[in-house]
Amino acid sequence: MPFVGTRDVAADLAPLTVMPSLDTEALLLPDCRQLQIIYEIDETVMLDLIPPALHPTIPPTLIINVIAADEGPLGAFTLVLVRIGCRSGARPRGLTIQAVCDGSEAAAALATRWGFPIVEGDAQLMRNYDRIRATAAVDGEIVLDAELMNPEPINGQDILYLANLNVARVQRNGGEQVRLVQVDAEYVFKKADRGAPQLLEFDADAFNVPGCEPIWPVSASYTTVDINLPAIRYLVDPAKGPGDSVEKL
Amino acid sequence: MKFGIFFEISVPRPWEAETEYNVYQNCLEQAVLADELGFDQCWAVEHHFLEEYSHCSAPEIFLTAVAAKTERIRIGQGIAVCVPEFNHPVRLAERAAVMDIMSGGRLEFGTGRSATWTELGGFMADPDDTKKTWDEFVRVIPKMWTEERFGHEGNSFSMPRRAVLPKPYQKPHPPMWVAVTSPGTELDAADRGLGSLGLTFGDFDVQEKKISEYRRRIQYCNPVGLFVNEQVNTVNFLFCHEDNEYGAKTGQRLAGTFNYHAEQLLAARQAYPTRSYPNVGLLPALRRDATSAPEGSIPEGLAIGNPERIIGVLRNWESVGVDRVNFLLNAVETVEQKEVLASMRLFAKEVMPKFVEDRVGNKAPVGVVS
Repeated sequence: MPFVGTRDVAADLAPLTVMPSLDTEALLLPDCRQLQIIYEIDETVMLDLIPPALHPTIPPTLIINVIAADEGPLGAFTLVLVRIGCRSGARPRGLTIQAVCDGSEAAAALATRWGFPIVEGDAQLMRNYDRIRATAAVDGEIVLDAELMNPEPINGQDILYLANLNVARVQRNGGEQVRLVQVDAEYVFKKADRGAPQLLEFDADAFNVPGCEPIWPVSASYTTVDINLPAIRYLVDPAKGPGDSVEKL
Repeated sequence: MKFGIFFEISVPRPWEAETEYNVYQNCLEQAVLADELGFDQCWAVEHHFLEEYSHCSAPEIFLTAVAAKTERIRIGQGIAVCVPEFNHPVRLAERAAVMDIMSGGRLEFGTGRSATWTELGGFMADPDDTKKTWDEFVRVIPKMWTEERFGHEGNSFSMPRRAVLPKPYQKPHPPMWVAVTSPGTELDAADRGLGSLGLTFGDFDVQEKKISEYRRRIQYCNPVGLFVNEQVNTVNFLFCHEDNEYGAKTGQRLAGTFNYHAEQLLAARQAYPTRSYPNVGLLPALRRDATSAPEGSIPEGLAIGNPERIIGVLRNWESVGVDRVNFLLNAVETVEQKEVLASMRLFAKEVMPKFVEDRVGNKAPVGVVS
């Protein structure tokens, strides 16, 4: 049996918004810009970062997604996801334990409707000709400063975004439950670039992944993309084993 | 139709002092029995760093041990990774030639390029380049085998003229194959006159179309070697038992365990955006599709169950144009060794005779010699 995680994610959830309902309608976010940066991380903590429901990837990976929606139904916002690459049973996923968002309306909607574990902060995604840079700050402290260097156009179909698992507290069956909410968004790519990743600042504690040390750059991509946030179809009970943790709604 | 066995050499945790040794010994025992029972080929993969899934990083050594303990079964590198960060092409040619000599001319030479970030990243190979380096390698290796001295100025490597030694025992050289996982690679095989070493299962309809196109295209190929190896090889699971229900249940457990571990691999595509590794066609996904079935039923293409069922399955594979089927016999030792051996014996007794072909010695079962 492949390795499984050991983390009690319930302990991480205290400050998070409760999802009042899982009956979420799909929502289209048109013309978003998305930066994705992947690093290999120190394997000595890989099991400490994920719950027993999940397997780590080998090698363990950190996946940073910065999504800027300049217009759309939730208004303008920038969302920073710091995800741990994993498998839910046999399915590839990215686990988000903490995210940063700079728009109040969007943060509330993303948290209550899809379970994104958001803290509000400042986030920016800037394109230059020689680099694409993303920054995030919480309480005035820089927690992320990441770059894609030397962008070169590629086909958007060459990019693969893993479905997200958000650590969330959900209102269900008359009470609150800690669950991983699966958000398997659909993407329509309009433009795409690829380049070399560079992390200038990464505060693992701020993203609730203590000890997560990026040690090896893997890839960076930048897209213009329509994102369709889906209705929620699956939850994962983080405390159960991979074989019996998935719950279909 | 001919039958072989295919080793990933998967090793379950916990890894104790004897675990890898025991798994390797079990595989060796299976290979020796396969030779005795009349299986035609024994293939072993080249994988690196793939924890549990495959600890077969030096297949040429394992296969040489197989050759030393057997008399007739052909040994297949399935595959030699044609990426310079993994293997220099001269070393590939040299090792293959030695294997061919040591086995008395029983080598099948499979080629490929790796499909996981775990491996490519581990060797710091550029995923964008692996198709190109594979193409360069498969063109030059037959020359290294057949020309007295060989020199090359290429993209991935260059060298002054040297005698690459020894030369293979089989003349002009061993049959060459390419691992087919990504869509379209079967056409790459056809265009180069290479055998199609299918490593995904696929359903009958999908495979039939691919094989048909492979057969059509290879008629117009520009062979990289000195002869065309027009053959289609596929991989399947084998668990044969008198009790169909037990056989199918155990076989599905074997297939499920294998697939579950395959899905844990970090595919190149998942880590690094590149057209070199297309989105569809990931090995785990294809294997999953081909081995899933509605609850209570057996995936139609799998060689699991009782002999009668397996004969039917293999007849279907034969009808869509498959020449050879290689069987995965175990996955992380989920089936006890004695059951694996019993399954092989029952298959050889009840199934294999239905597909017997005349064979002559241990000659290479190759296609059209140009």
